[in-house]
Amino acid sequence: MSEDIGLARRQLLTGSIALSGLSLAGCTTGLARSGPGRTPSGPMLAPMRVSPNELVDVKCCIRPFRAQGCRLDAEQLGDTLVIHNYGHGGSGWSLSWGSAEIAVGKAMSVLPRDIAVVGCGIVGLTAAVVAQRAGLNVTIYAREMFSRTRSVRAFGAWTPSSRIALTEPAGPAFAALWEQMARISWRYFRACLGLPGQPVEFIDSYSLSDTPPRNREHAPATSSFAATGVPQSEGEFAEYDSLVRDIVPSSTNLAAGENPFGTAYARRRSQMHFNFTGYGHMLLSEFFAMGGKFQNRDFHSPADIAALPEKVVINCPGYAARDLWRDQTIIPVRGQTGWLIPQPEAHYGLGYGGVSLLSKSDGVMVMHTDSTLGDMEGVGNSMELPDRSNIEAGLAIVAPLFARMAGGRA
Amino acid sequence: MSRLVALVCLPPALALAVAAPGQRPAASTATGVYSEAQAAQGAMLYKDACAACHGETLAGTYEIPALTGRFLRNWSNGSVGTLFDYIGRAMPQMAPGSLTPEDNARIVAYLLKANGMPAGAQPLPADQGALDRIAFAPR
Repeated sequence: MSEDIGLARRQLLTGSIALSGLSLAGCTTGLARSGPGRTPSGPMLAPMRVSPNELVDVKCCIRPFRAQGCRLDAEQLGDTLVIHNYGHGGSGWSLSWGSAEIAVGKAMSVLPRDIAVVGCGIVGLTAAVVAQRAGLNVTIYAREMFSRTRSVRAFGAWTPSSRIALTEPAGPAFAALWEQMARISWRYFRACLGLPGQPVEFIDSYSLSDTPPRNREHAPATSSFAATGVPQSEGEFAEYDSLVRDIVPSSTNLAAGENPFGTAYARRRSQMHFNFTGYGHMLLSEFFAMGGKFQNRDFHSPADIAALPEKVVINCPGYAARDLWRDQTIIPVRGQTGWLIPQPEAHYGLGYGGVSLLSKSDGVMVMHTDSTLGDMEGVGNSMELPDRSNIEAGLAIVAPLFARMAGGRA
Repeated sequence: MSRLVALVCLPPALALAVAAPGQRPAASTATGVYSEAQAAQGAMLYKDACAACHGETLAGTYEIPALTGRFLRNWSNGSVGTLFDYIGRAMPQMAPGSLTPEDNARIVAYLLKANGMPAGAQPLPADQGALDRIAFAPR
């Protein structure tokens, strides 16, 4: 399950939500109000239709968070070599290719011809494709095909350090590994741009607020992960985005006359996101075209995996690792998204008042978070039932923006 | 005879789990390993602890597994103990491990009944070792 729910929360600004994946420190200096009044200006954008009547889905999932960062070590189970590839927090989509490269590289070290991949979420399916490209015969064993995994209940945007680790337990070695994975993934995603079905695309995302945005200040921590085994404050979460700032678009403050939404303050950046339907079709098509096999299996213990005919296994169970592998280092972090009907005419994203909207090919995604919690929202919560009222409340927050846009253009 | 067939068909690792050397021959869910009263108690517990996610009729959702149909295939040919152990440490997902072993056994009894396994005279034990020796075998 998944996994990229959540924008880069450390960039959440009071009064707004920043869609930037990069550090915005210092951005507030010199930020211009977007206009003396509240009349939309700047480029013409179609208002989004945000009526709850067109809310067609609410999806909930649990991010598989590990304070140490994702697990990529190898483990010998009898005559089976298991390479773990799970625990990517809210960064599974973003790190999928880089993580797969590392896992497949470890698998190749014993010169297999046939390997198994356990799990068919974004991490497992990508690992399978990378293994095939390396010349291996691959069988995926999973209880669900891609479209029913937690991965498609995620946010699905480039958020490579979203709840990926805690700074202290992960240490500097993981930061370097993260950068390696992020850079490899970025290249792979770039190679998907422009393909049929738009599996990957960039769109403009606007961060809006009515008050001067300022960087979040973490409340003083009264406890810690080291003391409790659970993250206790937002400040414990690792922040790695600055390591790849040379390749990822940064935000631009919008001056007066450039803000299409009529809020007092606005920023814009180009954001990469993944369209689940087209992306899944792309990966599955390649997997099966390359001779990949899929077997429906529900594993109950590591012994089941050791009994597979393939003696090299890349283990990508996501949150299920907690029960399958009895890995209590997996900490649940709940999140959910709502989905309005697809609106290709409104092809952008925005964040405002704790609400994120992102226009994707399969619908306009809605996320409504508590800006005061940031990365701590959902930590330790394994309740996976969706809460529609939360999404509807979010739609009510952004509805005036679009009403104003429509009025301003009239 | 059917009990023997079930054991012979198990993969080696699972066969060991179900009938370790020196232990009594394994029972099977096909022979009545829970009581009707226990399953009825399990049904009540299910409504409180499980139905919010898996549904009143055990049908699940697009995301949440049904507890009939594919469920039977996923868990059969192992032991009842495997299912009991999993429920005990992983369920309910929002509060794993919050049910007592006795209540978990009641819920397992209800699931066996819901999947067409016959009731017997004795309730299903809440003992992991004993449950490991009961084959989860379809009718």
